[in-house]
Amino acid sequence: MGKKGLMSGVVAVAHAVRLADVDVIASYPIRPYTGVMSELARMIADGELDAELVYAEGEHAQLSIAYGAAASGARTFVGSSGVGVTYAMEVYSPTSGERLPVQCMIADRTLDPPGDFGSEHTDALCARDQAWIMGWAETPQEALDMSLLFYRVGEDQRVSLPQFPCQDGYFVSHILGHVEVPEKPQVDEFLPPFKPVHYLDPGNPMILGAQIEPSMSAPLQYQRHQAMKAAQSVIREATDDFNRIFGRNYSPMVEFVGCDDADVVFVIQGAHTWTARTVVKRLRDQGYKVGLAKIRVLRPFPTEELREGLSGAKVVGVVDVDAAFGISSGGGVLLTEVRSALYGLSDRVRVIGFVAGLGGEVITREEFYSMARKMLEVAAAGKVTQDAFWLPFEL
Amino acid sequence: MATELEEIKSLRSAPLEEYYVPGHRTCAGCGPALTYRLVAKAAGRNTIFIGPTGCMYVANTSYGCSPWAVPWIHAQITNGGGVASGIEAAYKALLRKGKKKGSFPNIIVMAGDGGATDIGLQAMSGALYRGHNILFICYDNESYANTGIQVSPTTPWGAWTTFTPSGPVIPEGKRIWPKDTPKLVAAGHPSVRYVATASLGYPLDLMNKVRRGLNADGPAYLHIHAPCPKGWVFPADQTIDMAKLAVDTGMWQLYEVANHQFKLTHRVLKRRPVEDYLKLQGRFSHLLPEHIHKIQAWVDARAEEVGIPAVVPPARGQ
Repeated sequence: MGKKGLMSGVVAVAHAVRLADVDVIASYPIRPYTGVMSELARMIADGELDAELVYAEGEHAQLSIAYGAAASGARTFVGSSGVGVTYAMEVYSPTSGERLPVQCMIADRTLDPPGDFGSEHTDALCARDQAWIMGWAETPQEALDMSLLFYRVGEDQRVSLPQFPCQDGYFVSHILGHVEVPEKPQVDEFLPPFKPVHYLDPGNPMILGAQIEPSMSAPLQYQRHQAMKAAQSVIREATDDFNRIFGRNYSPMVEFVGCDDADVVFVIQGAHTWTARTVVKRLRDQGYKVGLAKIRVLRPFPTEELREGLSGAKVVGVVDVDAAFGISSGGGVLLTEVRSALYGLSDRVRVIGFVAGLGGEVITREEFYSMARKMLEVAAAGKVTQDAFWLPFEL
Repeated sequence: MATELEEIKSLRSAPLEEYYVPGHRTCAGCGPALTYRLVAKAAGRNTIFIGPTGCMYVANTSYGCSPWAVPWIHAQITNGGGVASGIEAAYKALLRKGKKKGSFPNIIVMAGDGGATDIGLQAMSGALYRGHNILFICYDNESYANTGIQVSPTTPWGAWTTFTPSGPVIPEGKRIWPKDTPKLVAAGHPSVRYVATASLGYPLDLMNKVRRGLNADGPAYLHIHAPCPKGWVFPADQTIDMAKLAVDTGMWQLYEVANHQFKLTHRVLKRRPVEDYLKLQGRFSHLLPEHIHKIQAWVDARAEEVGIPAVVPPARGQ
């Protein structure tokens, strides 16, 4: 059993990085993720962690440093928020293409439409197709745990991919939660040392990142696709180990709450799940058959889990904390993903979407109630008249 | 620290071992390829190369037939300095923590002028500023050659490129004077211990500057003038002549700044007129006498700045 204490999401992640004995960290400040690097700098100054902390000159450089370090066999950590995430965009594909298991935590922030620093998942979702493992933590505890879990999954040789453990800016990054920090021996049991297969070593010369012919591209990209598929079973396996060693009770990809007999189900990820839980409980107490599915891992997308867990529902309401302008569903990224996963399952399962909490606004209980009402209304009517609703304007 | 590399006394005593070997697909007479060969020879076996995107990426790293006998990694054209910083930091941490055995390697970035002085400038400056123990080399062929000869910040004033063609409205071609990256590095990076310029025409000087840069306790920057027959439009067997002529006319200067002390490493006693250099290259064939005069004046001023007397006869056609 580890030590318990109150801490924010960013400090919790710093503990994960310390416990993982990360070798190279590259920093660059941007709110709200910055606190993780301040805490890591303190740990290094105080002798709690032995790592090279490189002050990068931007997020693009942060990722580039991690790319070089991981290619030399080091366990690496970087992080960012908002436009910092998109500034580093060029480096995401080469990192997964070289199969370097770099970890980049994201504390979500909007993309300056114009300058705003509130939380929104839009930043990370821009990078969702770069072959990085990606998931959202709901609490500081889950943020710490997800960081350790993702190192284990990403470094597994069946996967060998970089990872984005994400947390909502402020709602997780800056809110204190009860966190149990694992003991080092527990972490050592869960997370073996990084043993790269390919790395830069003058004793064994190797070319990394050679230029390929167009005909070689498809096979290499197919391998990344296969790695993503393999990641699903590796995540399940690692979550089982995690729960056993640390005494937790995580579902690997999706957590279902009361979905067995639910007529209508919220699908959501991240910090606002906390509010959704209380609303679902209250509605249940009032006799409404409402459930909740929290997506923990978005890449690889938990298609099978959702199909199985939501097949009995009449209406699925997907809550997006992101803007995807002009997207097919008219809602957000999650709605499109969930609709695509459930397509063809049954005509009975109708999927509608809600875009809420943009710019870092709190999604209020009242808003969740009105979303639930809309779902129940669609369930009763048996047909969808509007695919998605932007709150607070359309609902 | 890597092992100290000795000065090479003469070309005859240069190491026979090659670490840039057959397998590349560069153009005939390629200056950057010859540069790579000399740099690799000087650096030796305990070396890791970082190759940002550029003509030397595209021409060298066809999957399965690469010409390096030492480790090499691709960087984006933007981030050679960042990737090198990461490799350096990793080796430092892993050796210190006992996770890796062996000695600290030579870490060399081989960036083109785009990857060093233009889009890659930020990453290079960041790496040098932070004091990583790396050698950042710019092989300067004065254009974006990979994409088919487009203007770069080191393209000379008046040179033709596909982005600076000469025409009735703009008869001189490129209208901006080149960026002076070695001086930018030397002046603004307190942790850099060694900055030098080199030329393919002076291979011994080049190899020793590579070694001095690697021996420097901290980051070093080397800017190597590497003629490109295709981009500059001259016959492929004249690469070395062209490199020498650049130095003899003062278009390129050879110096070093060791521990912040400037020193000319090759003093041209009698400079030749710049026209001798320009007239042999197709990229300058459109220049009018007044343009050549303008370039000559620029070269003269730069020569006097470093104490090379202006003994050149006035440019013709004044």
